[in-house]
Amino acid sequence: MLPQALREVEGGVKLSLNVAVRLPKLVRPPIFESFLRQVYFTGVTAATGVILRACALGVIIIAVMMNMLDADVDLAVKILLLLVFRELGPLAAAVVVILRTGTAVSAEMAIMRVSGQTRALRYLGIDLYDYLVLPRVAGIMLATAALTFYVQFLAVLGGLVLSPFIIEASFDELTGRFFDLFTPVDCYYSVVKSLLFGFVVAASCCWHGLNPPDLTQNAVPKVVTKAVMQSMMLVLAVNAVFAYLVFGILFFGLIKANV
Amino acid sequence: MTDLALRYSRRTPRHEVQVSVPQGAVTHVHLPDDDAKAHLVTAMLKARAEPGEELELFGESTAGLGMRQREKVRGRIGAVSPIVGLITNLNAWENISLPAAYHGAPPLPEVAQLAHDVLAAFGAEPRYFFARVPDELGTLERKIASFIRLLVAAPELMVFDALEDGLSYAECRYAARFEAEYRARQPQGTVLYVDTKEES
Repeated sequence: MLPQALREVEGGVKLSLNVAVRLPKLVRPPIFESFLRQVYFTGVTAATGVILRACALGVIIIAVMMNMLDADVDLAVKILLLLVFRELGPLAAAVVVILRTGTAVSAEMAIMRVSGQTRALRYLGIDLYDYLVLPRVAGIMLATAALTFYVQFLAVLGGLVLSPFIIEASFDELTGRFFDLFTPVDCYYSVVKSLLFGFVVAASCCWHGLNPPDLTQNAVPKVVTKAVMQSMMLVLAVNAVFAYLVFGILFFGLIKANV
Repeated sequence: MTDLALRYSRRTPRHEVQVSVPQGAVTHVHLPDDDAKAHLVTAMLKARAEPGEELELFGESTAGLGMRQREKVRGRIGAVSPIVGLITNLNAWENISLPAAYHGAPPLPEVAQLAHDVLAAFGAEPRYFFARVPDELGTLERKIASFIRLLVAAPELMVFDALEDGLSYAECRYAARFEAEYRARQPQGTVLYVDTKEES
């Protein structure tokens, strides 16, 4: 158990370093094409599926909180900013990315490995990190950031537009208070966090895809399960550590949530 | 004495395999079983001998080769083999052009011209052929796509691994065209046919 965990950590670190070193190769035509495909698959095709869910997210959170906490406008907007914008938006986007892209990437890579396609690439002088890992990691990172922004925008908009039907507050009042509380830190925080989410999901799925437990077809579902579970755990860990670093101890606590 | 493109030997408790292929010649090698065939082809493609094997490529032992030299030797060998299959999520054109696009040479128009010429020799319609993914191609078509992808790299030693396997009787007529197309582009090249069937 422990050697396996250490092997996974070592593999993850190596994979991360390899991706960082090879980033300039992203401009090569087949790698860039693969990157664009990944962005399209992860970001664009996922976007239509989250419209309703993202809008509902903002409204449901506010409606539940209203009933439980008997909240006023101020608290409603704080909930929208703190919970929906900063935490649930990026998490919801990460979950969508894990379920849609993480499963696809890990299964695709495991199938390539099991069927000898990765070996064929090596014989053609094509580096697996260049052609398979780099465009997927970069593409998933970028698409996760874009999807996070999209989910946040829809969730906040949904919350601001539909909440007046549930609580006694006007749209103008809610919007005004939202922009009073909103700081650029919220934006940077979301972007950096979503890029990290994208990175850990992509790295985990690529690593598991390229390292199946055995080279049989049975290994593919095992790989997907492992990749998804580990991605989810990593996303939650990154979320906790990142929140603590940014709003806890970083710069001696000078950066604080503006609430 | 003729220079050898390949000298390979492998000794196992069950059998001993000795293969010598003169440069520029066409050689047919019949191996005792699939395992022996896979070992030979893999050793050539990796330019590396496993324990119990000896391998010389183009007159040089591969034992003491450094990583770069090994890479160079590998670049001189191509194999139409199930071991080097097509990438299933790329269409035929993307498969053919992938190595050239990745390495930046030769230019893609040149690759396209070569592909058109070879497909014309096999009587295939390029636009229809290029657009399909490997699962939509027949066995012969997959072999043709692999072959074109190799021709782009102009290998000095071309290995045909069980070329007629999976082909219908009618399709086997086309098998000879592979060698002819290779010869037309690499007159000094070496051709090695590998299979596990006994000669009748």
